[in-house]
Amino acid sequence: MPPIADDIFFAPITELNARLKKREFSCQELTRAFLDRLEAQGPRFNALALSLRESAIKKAKDVDTELKRERYRGLLQGVPFGAKDLLADSDHPTTWGARPYAAQVFPEDAAVIKRLDKQGAVLTGKLAMIELAGGPSYRFARASLTGACLNPWNKSHWAGGSSSGSGAAVAAGLVPYAIGSETSGSILTPSAYCGITGLRPTYGLVPRTGAMALSWTLDKLGPMARTVEDCAWILQAIAGSDKNDPGSAGKSFYYAPQFVRPFSDIKVAFAPVDFEGWAEPAAQPDFRKAVETIRALGVQLIEAKIPEFPYGAVLSTILNGECGSIFETLITSGKVDQLDDAKQIAGLKAAREVSAADYLKAMRIRRLIQQAFAEFFYQYDIILAPARINTATRVSDPLDRPLQRTLPKDRGFSGLIPAGNLAGLPALSIPCGFANGLPIGLQLVARPFNENLILALGKAFQARTDFHQRRPPV
Amino acid sequence: MKSTRRDLALALLTPALAAAPPQNPPSPAKEDLLEAARAQLRTNSQQLAAFSLDIALEPAFQFKP
Repeated sequence: MPPIADDIFFAPITELNARLKKREFSCQELTRAFLDRLEAQGPRFNALALSLRESAIKKAKDVDTELKRERYRGLLQGVPFGAKDLLADSDHPTTWGARPYAAQVFPEDAAVIKRLDKQGAVLTGKLAMIELAGGPSYRFARASLTGACLNPWNKSHWAGGSSSGSGAAVAAGLVPYAIGSETSGSILTPSAYCGITGLRPTYGLVPRTGAMALSWTLDKLGPMARTVEDCAWILQAIAGSDKNDPGSAGKSFYYAPQFVRPFSDIKVAFAPVDFEGWAEPAAQPDFRKAVETIRALGVQLIEAKIPEFPYGAVLSTILNGECGSIFETLITSGKVDQLDDAKQIAGLKAAREVSAADYLKAMRIRRLIQQAFAEFFYQYDIILAPARINTATRVSDPLDRPLQRTLPKDRGFSGLIPAGNLAGLPALSIPCGFANGLPIGLQLVARPFNENLILALGKAFQARTDFHQRRPPV
Repeated sequence: MKSTRRDLALALLTPALAAAPPQNPPSPAKEDLLEAARAQLRTNSQQLAAFSLDIALEPAFQFKP
């Protein structure tokens, strides 16, 4: 067979699967090509935690046998993918991006890895992450066992976190897709910063068995890929009930864009101030065009306000309370001092001091937040906002440096990331332009279990734009 | 008036300093970071305390035997 051309590294899943079935290349050839690229380029961006070459080739061989016998399993069959290194893969270390856990090996694969394996997907590597998925907080992009993950669009800038390696690897064409996680922003941020598509599903839709827990009531796993449609097919494969996950919603997901209501019926809430006042000035022109593209799809774009709550304080209290308990042994043993980021270390130590009264108060306010968003989504179907108001930070800059510009008094939907995570809402980040050569993304949020709605709108946006097809200079 | 070598050095150095990029502040000490983390938790606590809640409002989790 002729050598595999470079365009394969940026092809969507549906194309890769079709070309495998047509025998343009074998699964082993495809897997080797992606492995060679991941191993050569991954370390350039500090995106790779561990290559899984041996097991990947073995799996690819099994897939080739199945394809030869025309035993088809679905669109993900034969397609390589990467997994954020908080997902257990038996017989290989799962480091959680953190020195104290660098050697740990779990006896069983995470539930999502098992589900993808059953579909014939080929796991090629564990991808870099911020240590402990960011813990309560961290100050620098280098807060990781593998160092600062660099943005493929500009290596002086960060890939975003905490699913940093997942964002960089998909953007650079090292894997067709990855499974990331989000507690508060960890799928949306690297997706926006790296110019890829990321989906944070409804809380409880995707099982977390075998994934590191940072916050039991906030953690979600989700796909990061090149297109909205890819994310949809991946979600269909990994979603579903799991009796081993106490947070499981007991629901499945079926990608059904054909049943979404006409766009003219769909009410999209947005705040113009987000795109004009809050967004970084260099990003405002492309954000404006993106909003007009959404409008041109025929939806009803309506100015609205986010329900008002102290989202930051509520999320921080819950996250600190839960992660302080999850990492109790790490903290009380003193091994927490082995972590890279001093702010993360301090945050974990302080997290043990969250009072029960504060935690319960935060969880009661959270009930109000859920109710407020349930009422909000009686009036509106989708919230449209920037995924991040800034482009990726410089790698050397602290992440908690205050913005060096005057911000509007009107908060717009600036609290949407903590709000959406507190309410368990699904969110889609889609690339929508560039600012100073770095990608920016839109965020679409819907009510729980309405992924099909945001996927339909996101897919229509990608049919009219080509930002998701752009490639960094790798 | 005759310029001294000190005057000359100052004249040359000042524009260079003005043109230099802003430096990141030095990293705080561990104890300061721990105190800052605790201070953040206290700030969170104060913001939560400002919210009055109906006595019947339950937390957003359920226990089911």
